[in-house]
Amino acid sequence: MSGAVKRYRVMAIIAGVMSLLLWFVDLPVVYLFNNEDWKSKVAWIPFVHGWVYALYVLTAIQFATKARWPLKKMAWLILAGTLPIASIAAERRVVRQYA
Amino acid sequence: MTQQSNLLTKLGQVAAVLLVIALFVALGFWQLQRAADLKNSLKVATTIDSVIVPLESVTVPRQAIAATALNRTISVTGKYIANFKAPNQKDGAGKVDDWEVALVQIGSDAAILLVRGLWSQRLLNSDIQPATEVKITGLLVASQEGDRAQNTSGVISRLDSAVVVSLTNLDLYDGYIVAATESTRTGTLERTRVTPEKLTSRISGFYWQHLSYVVIWWLMAAVVVYLPFYRRRVTP
Repeated sequence: MSGAVKRYRVMAIIAGVMSLLLWFVDLPVVYLFNNEDWKSKVAWIPFVHGWVYALYVLTAIQFATKARWPLKKMAWLILAGTLPIASIAAERRVVRQYA
Repeated sequence: MTQQSNLLTKLGQVAAVLLVIALFVALGFWQLQRAADLKNSLKVATTIDSVIVPLESVTVPRQAIAATALNRTISVTGKYIANFKAPNQKDGAGKVDDWEVALVQIGSDAAILLVRGLWSQRLLNSDIQPATEVKITGLLVASQEGDRAQNTSGVISRLDSAVVVSLTNLDLYDGYIVAATESTRTGTLERTRVTPEKLTSRISGFYWQHLSYVVIWWLMAAVVVYLPFYRRRVTP
């Protein structure tokens, strides 16, 4: 169980940082500023975010299953990885309960 | 009654799981298709056809330029009705400079943007009067998407007919021409020609990026398939 918590915590923090980059750096550059140079410089963010989120989902599933969470609660944990701060807030809650 | 509702719940869960799996698999196929489309469009975008064809035979005004018309070497005859500076344009070698761009009227009711060459060389040849017919050959290129400068009087922010649409009543062609030759009745206009920016596809992202998304979506589908078994294995 502690291994699953650790893995989840690491991925929650990385996914949170990547979500912040996606929402507050990549999306404004792509949709608000018309600068091709900037766009090419931030092109890696959605790609890395996609992979980080996939890994976050795997660790969230493993943790939620081991913690015997119901499916609905697990779904919320998975969705938390899509919003900035939400995965970090979820990680804090997990730490309070299980660490 | 309870057994029946349990069965319905189970069936509902199975249907939901199958729906999610189908969704993830379909998203994987969608990314696979995008990867294939990207590969094909890159092939079209980077292959230059040097056979000279009339502009009117490959595209028409007021319609998006077809993929098959891109990077064709075209010929056109028209009159220069306006001249613009297009700042901060990158050529095929990656060199950034200001370009001289003309709006060429074709026939009585159509026009297209034409990159004539470097802005700094605009005075090398004598002025071309609006009544003078010019024969042009050049490369037909897709419109630019990102601004390189501000639109001001005599300056266009990017090579795109959309930025000059308010300045003329003529029907504008999508895309623009990068001139290779210009000639009038009096002779050929000699100047350094620019090469178009490195050709790219209009589909965003990279080939390997779309392929990696295929892996992610199908991995998610596999996770959904495995999840009930995993829960059963972990939960006693």
